[in-house]
Amino acid sequence: MNILKTRIKLFSKEIQNQVNELLSRYPIKQNALIPILLLAQKENDGWLTEEWMKHVADCCEVPLTQVEGVVTFYTMFRLKPPGKYHLQVCTCVPCCLLGGTELLEYTEKKLKTHAGYTTADGLFSIEEMECLGACSYAPAIIVNEDYHEQVTPEKMEKLINNLSK
Amino acid sequence: MPVFHIDDQPVEFEPGEKILSAALRNGKKIPHYCYHPGMSIVATCRMCVVEIVDLGNGRPAPKLQTACSVDAADGMKVETMNKKVEEGRKLVNEFLLINHPLDCPICDQSGECTLQDYSFEYGSGKSEMDYSKRVYGWRNIGTFVSLERNRCIQCSRCDRFTREITGTNEFGMFNRGHELTVDTYTDRPMTNKFQGNMADICPVGAITEKEFRFKRRVWKLKKNRSICTGCSTGCNVTIEHDRNEVFRLKPHENQNVNKWWMCDEGRLSYRIMNERKTRINSPLGRVGQNLQDISWEEAYRAIAERIIEMAPKENEVIALTDTHASNEELFLLKKLLKDGFLSDNVFCPLPKWEQIESEFFINTLITTDKSPNRAGALALKIKGDAKNVGVKNLIDRKLKMAIILGCPFEKENDFHQKIKQTQLVIHIGAYHNCWSDIADVVLPGQNYSEKKGTFTNKLQQVQTTDIAVQALRRSRPEWQILAELGQALGYKFDFNNVNQVFGAMSEEIKAFSGLSFDQIGDKGIKLTKTFKDNGMKLVKETT
Amino acid sequence: MVEETLVLFKNIRKPEYSKTLEGYKKAGGFQTLKKVFGMKPEKVIQTVKDSGIRGRGGAGFPTGLKWSFMQKGSSKPSYLIANADESEPGTCKDRELMLKDPHLFLEGMMIGCYAVGCHHGYIYIRGEYFPAIKSLNTAIEELYADGLLGQDPMGSDFHLDLTVHSGAGAYICGEESALLDSLEGKRGQPRVKPPFPAISGFNGCPTSVNNVETLAYMPFILGDGGVDAFKSFGPENNSGTHLVSLSGHINNPGVYELRMDVSMRDIIYEIGGGIRNGKKLKGVIPGGSSSSVMTADEVDVLYNFDELANIDTMLGSSAMMVFDEDTDVVKLLLRITKFYAHESCGQCTPCREGTHWSRNIIRDFLKGNGSDEKLKRLDRVGGNMLGTTLCALGDAAALPIQSFVKKFPNDFRKYYAKK
Repeated sequence: MNILKTRIKLFSKEIQNQVNELLSRYPIKQNALIPILLLAQKENDGWLTEEWMKHVADCCEVPLTQVEGVVTFYTMFRLKPPGKYHLQVCTCVPCCLLGGTELLEYTEKKLKTHAGYTTADGLFSIEEMECLGACSYAPAIIVNEDYHEQVTPEKMEKLINNLSK
Repeated sequence: MPVFHIDDQPVEFEPGEKILSAALRNGKKIPHYCYHPGMSIVATCRMCVVEIVDLGNGRPAPKLQTACSVDAADGMKVETMNKKVEEGRKLVNEFLLINHPLDCPICDQSGECTLQDYSFEYGSGKSEMDYSKRVYGWRNIGTFVSLERNRCIQCSRCDRFTREITGTNEFGMFNRGHELTVDTYTDRPMTNKFQGNMADICPVGAITEKEFRFKRRVWKLKKNRSICTGCSTGCNVTIEHDRNEVFRLKPHENQNVNKWWMCDEGRLSYRIMNERKTRINSPLGRVGQNLQDISWEEAYRAIAERIIEMAPKENEVIALTDTHASNEELFLLKKLLKDGFLSDNVFCPLPKWEQIESEFFINTLITTDKSPNRAGALALKIKGDAKNVGVKNLIDRKLKMAIILGCPFEKENDFHQKIKQTQLVIHIGAYHNCWSDIADVVLPGQNYSEKKGTFTNKLQQVQTTDIAVQALRRSRPEWQILAELGQALGYKFDFNNVNQVFGAMSEEIKAFSGLSFDQIGDKGIKLTKTFKDNGMKLVKETT
Repeated sequence: MVEETLVLFKNIRKPEYSKTLEGYKKAGGFQTLKKVFGMKPEKVIQTVKDSGIRGRGGAGFPTGLKWSFMQKGSSKPSYLIANADESEPGTCKDRELMLKDPHLFLEGMMIGCYAVGCHHGYIYIRGEYFPAIKSLNTAIEELYADGLLGQDPMGSDFHLDLTVHSGAGAYICGEESALLDSLEGKRGQPRVKPPFPAISGFNGCPTSVNNVETLAYMPFILGDGGVDAFKSFGPENNSGTHLVSLSGHINNPGVYELRMDVSMRDIIYEIGGGIRNGKKLKGVIPGGSSSSVMTADEVDVLYNFDELANIDTMLGSSAMMVFDEDTDVVKLLLRITKFYAHESCGQCTPCREGTHWSRNIIRDFLKGNGSDEKLKRLDRVGGNMLGTTLCALGDAAALPIQSFVKKFPNDFRKYYAKK
């Protein structure tokens, strides 16, 4: 068991400043819940733990059930760690028409894992995405926070090879 | 009040009221799952659809509307039983059943399940769903209830309950879409004191009371209106019983007292109604060291003989009662002492008590006064004080006789010792306790579930209990015992029922003047003359 | 020859345009805002009403009317929220604006805020739009630095703040009441209406939620373009240009700004350059995945709100997804239905259970287990979601199912079980 694999980290000073700035932008603290959860997730290498949820709940003065409700409602919140590079492949309608599904299959085969999972070395994780809003440039993927458009299996191979270095 | 029409029948509504609310208030049934009059409207189950053929302006609504969310309007015409509406309900019910397990044979809700009822009315009888159902496991989620999420129809009443009614936020809706589910936060059990209500408001068998789990099929239960006697709030309940055994208490709506709710502790008070071990089965008389079965006639005669023999004076008599006795019982006890001995020495414990103040109504149901009739005792001017000074003063003198009603001053060992010295101790009560141990005559009384009586709650409203289960054959209600005792002593105590006692009480006691038993009805009635209870302290709720 | 009409894209289409406040001002930016600050808010709303502009988010509700519903004289603050939660499959027009000309949209938003008396506007942007979030934040920083945001911009006594609020991945938050719940920090579940947001919206205050593209037209409508020019871009009741997201099996996919009186055939064959690899057109999903599908012989129709409504489909967010003769429409429908099953918030019974059930039935077809009975059932389950839910997601899931079954029955027959 990895009992102490992750230690509780509170917001760094810089992020805490961002949190305070966010809180000041809304009439009530609860309103800032989602942006602050996103910040917390970024702080914690792309996923949320119970401790973090509790911490954010305290920040925004909302009940824990609301935080968990929100976290399980929105797809961008993750409750298990993603890979260092989180490959989000769109297979929604326009991307599906132009080979998004095949691209996802290729990526899964190439990384020998499945959507929703992380590779054994922790480098890559794959997620099947609903529409990314880059429909005219299909098929599109997001790697962490960067859009890549009109991605073919060849481009994907190159990308993965580059990132693996 | 303005009027609109449901199925061509005029229905009055308050401005701003929704169609469903007005319909239910006027006894018109429209099937629904997610709507609850005590909580916010979400309009998500889609079961309460109706056709609005005239919005009040001559035009119809474009499609079926949910009755729970549309304001009633003057001149509006609503149809709730036409073919289109029935189709609308059918489709909702079909959707709900594609994932709902058909485990009615082992489901405790079966028989009082709205999904079951509506499926009977609107179900097609066959399923076209040939894929596997959504499956979760059974979970123990709190001190009082358990959760079977397979049965959940996502009406969100439980979620709204902990958010809007108790404010404890222990429950939430998680995930979304087809996986939408209710649960507690990361498996933490619930701790609020009102969980039973979540089982009540759950329209299906997803949340059920653990206490009642697998005990009895609900259609076997007979129901009687009564009040909870677990504390001075006096929540309205139905006592649900079968074959003379009580299985549960369920809250009964009374907007003046408990709205729709009651606390878990009150629900558990059904246990005492089935208590047999300590129950007093027949009149007992002391012969030497032991109490022996005697007949009622023997008991009354023995008492009368001893009293004539002793001829006690005013201050040689004492009566102690608890505040669990009904108004009538307290009244007769007082009357007995007054008429028989010119004595006012009727005492009851009146400790200080705390009432919780809270922004959430439900929290105010809980008080630290765990007796149902303190206010009645005060109204009847039964003596007492927080430190029992009155009893102490009297008890040190030479007493000849004592009448003990119920189980007062249980922890005052000193009182027991001193009362024991008197020549005649009469104990009237349903259960054996420290007093029956020292009594010379024990007269078996009855539980609330077995007799009629009125109680005055902390808001000084008079409410009644009713006979739900059959009492033990040789027991008698306390008011009857007191009346018969009076008669045995030769006084005019001819009361044949509670109504008559209540009538006499309203004639003699100012607080009850002008009230009649029949007036009390389902909703209770306020005392004619209210007063301030100095023993009460308001405390802020602590979370 | 059909060409673009440039209102929103007039800067973007200039190769030399620099996406900075300076560049935007050089192109005439913020002149309209200055003018608007000199007008009465009621006059601004009236002008927008006169222009006949209909919301570009999908429902096509007249914007001026929406603003005029805002509760006046309330003691609570008013809010204007820009809906940048662009998630309807096929739609990528707002992203284009926010990425390439954020100031235009921001000026429009500021005009909107002035019109409805909002002193703190929020831009609810979908969380996946990382580049657009950066672009907007940079632009907003520039505006604060320039004094255009904050206390008394341009000598007006109108105080205004703007905040970019990132969503976290939920299509349903594009629905305005769900968006408000999400903005408040809750699960994005649509609310019961009424009360409408104009009476009780963000934190219970009067609120107007407007699409990014809609707001971006404001500098033109109230500025040098004017109402008449705007109306001239389309037929009666369909005024203005609109941004068309063109995607699928087409030679030139992209976002184009077109008048409202262009036929779909012209858009596909002239603007889009026809079908890829010389294939034949099989069908078009005309207004985002929630609109009813059209077959190849239905495309001789003007691409605007009313014309499409006449043939029982809709313009929606002007997102045209074109597919060619080789397309397996059953697979396509599965993908659409999967999307709605994934994005349903789950609160209403028909949508929660219906999207899931219909997805299972379509999967069954693809496994070769189809039958007439199942096709009828699919149509019935779809129909049972239509108009029976709180928000329009039930309809959005139902319309593609019903239209695909109706218009491409033979494609489903291919998957019937062999006897």
